Amino acid sequence: MKKLKILIIDDERNAREEIKLLLKSYPDVEIIGEAKNADDAKEQIDIKKPDLLFLDIQMPEKTGFDLLESLDNVPQVIFTTAYDQYAVKAFEVSAIDYLMKPIREERFAKAMEQLKVKSASKNDDRIFVKDRQQYHFISWNKVHLIESLDNYARLFFDDKSVFLKTSLNLLEQKLDESLFFRVNRAQIINLNYIDKIIPLPGGKLKVLLKTGDAPEASDRQSVKLKKLVKT
Amino acid sequence: MKQQLSPKINISLYWKCQFIGWSVAALYWEYRGFTRSTHFSWLLAALQFISDVVIYILLTHLYRNYALRHNFQNLNLGQLLKRIIPGAVVMGVAYTLATTVKLYLFQFWFFQSPVQTYADFFKQNAEAIFIGGTRLMSIWLLAYHMYHYAQREIRTSKENARLAIISREAQLSNLSAQLNPHFLFNSLNNIKALVIDNPKSARRAIDLLSDLLRTSLYNGEIMQISLRDEINLVKDYLELEKLRFEERLQFAINVDDDLVAIQIPRLCIQTLVENAIKHGIAKRKDGGLITIRTEKTGGFVKITVQNPGFLEAGDDGVGLKNLRERLALEYKGRATFAITGELDDIVLATISIPSA
Repeated sequence: MKKLKILIIDDERNAREEIKLLLKSYPDVEIIGEAKNADDAKEQIDIKKPDLLFLDIQMPEKTGFDLLESLDNVPQVIFTTAYDQYAVKAFEVSAIDYLMKPIREERFAKAMEQLKVKSASKNDDRIFVKDRQQYHFISWNKVHLIESLDNYARLFFDDKSVFLKTSLNLLEQKLDESLFFRVNRAQIINLNYIDKIIPLPGGKLKVLLKTGDAPEASDRQSVKLKKLVKT
Repeated sequence: MKQQLSPKINISLYWKCQFIGWSVAALYWEYRGFTRSTHFSWLLAALQFISDVVIYILLTHLYRNYALRHNFQNLNLGQLLKRIIPGAVVMGVAYTLATTVKLYLFQFWFFQSPVQTYADFFKQNAEAIFIGGTRLMSIWLLAYHMYHYAQREIRTSKENARLAIISREAQLSNLSAQLNPHFLFNSLNNIKALVIDNPKSARRAIDLLSDLLRTSLYNGEIMQISLRDEINLVKDYLELEKLRFEERLQFAINVDDDLVAIQIPRLCIQTLVENAIKHGIAKRKDGGLITIRTEKTGGFVKITVQNPGFLEAGDDGVGLKNLRERLALEYKGRATFAITGELDDIVLATISIPSA
């Protein structure tokens, strides 16, 4: 079985040593690197593509959150912090596991256990977005529609949406082609969410999504979409 | 604002009391003159009234100037009484002299016939006037001084209460600063790693942390400590943080040996150093150097803490706000505190405390 690749990020050497020590009793993991600040970490993440980050929140110049926001694809994350839980809540992070330093072994074991459960549903590319003071992990699988709005891309997922400061063209290049399709100048759809495709008079196509959205494909994209659906 | 206003109000109250008090007294004398005298003159009555008010206000005002110049207002009750009693006698004598001269002159002018010489007039009337005058002056002095004494008592007790609250706050904020969860848990986490890596350092760190905790837990009520003790505390703190930040934290302490015995507000340097680490060292990838200096310049002891970093705009944190308050209260505005952003990414915090 492939080993879980881990990157440890903390500005204090002894704090990193501490994590390494805790990881010693886990044979199926591999520590692929250590980083002492966000910039250093980003470089290593881009090259080494770790599966899991142990990430300190308070670091010089850029915080752990800043780091995650800068990533195109966010690996699994376990936050480590010396703040108490109320202080962590103040960051308004939802659904993120965090360990409080000093870390108890049984708590660490629990975090690793939960991770195994999560990584069973693998192949889950996701991003980390701050929207209106709230941080979200957003899995691309769950994004059914992306709309362009001025300089922002609006991502629709579940019954929520967030704004991402990027142009649709830039975003399109980063997206998985087998998953997303640009139907027109202003909209990108998730192919997994297509319910029905209705031909319109004049050759254009209207796409009905399972969510009820009904974007209309442009002339050029209708042609492409027809090919795509056939294959 | 408050301090500028209060003397103004006091002066106007003082003059009100002077005019009303002496006018009432003078009117009483007029009434007595009117009921007893056989040949009452309105002109004489008016002159008597005006001269009484003017002379006695003048006399007591001179006394007040004297008392102010000799700082009677800052004496304690015993010292004050030692001055009020002879003061009342002296004022009684002055009253007697002024009054007899005035009365003699009025008699001279209005009745044209000097029935007797001033010496005779004085001998005849001095005793009664002196007794009455001393009584009046005693009342005046007591009223004046008791009023100010009471005012001062109220002010000091208010100030003491304020100081107690501030020091309590300082104590609490110090507690939360030193037991600052972030600092405390990071230190413990650091020690946990050191136990395996470097047991000797781990043991040292526990000693340092214990002393810091002891200081913040048990010495809260102490307001002032010697510069020597404060520097030792700061050294412990820096040594502990050095184990955590390693090469990112450098520090230099240059303290003038002649100054180590002076008393300074407890934790004033500690607060600045904590700040220097939190906003200077911890926020920079490569950390930097913290320099602590002391210097004696023209009646002041200057303590500076310098660290790399940018001065962040906005209000002081709790630590600095408390420090400012404590300095203002403990030195009654004669100590100063400033934090400035210098060239080359340097932040400089300076405390100036009057020496001796």
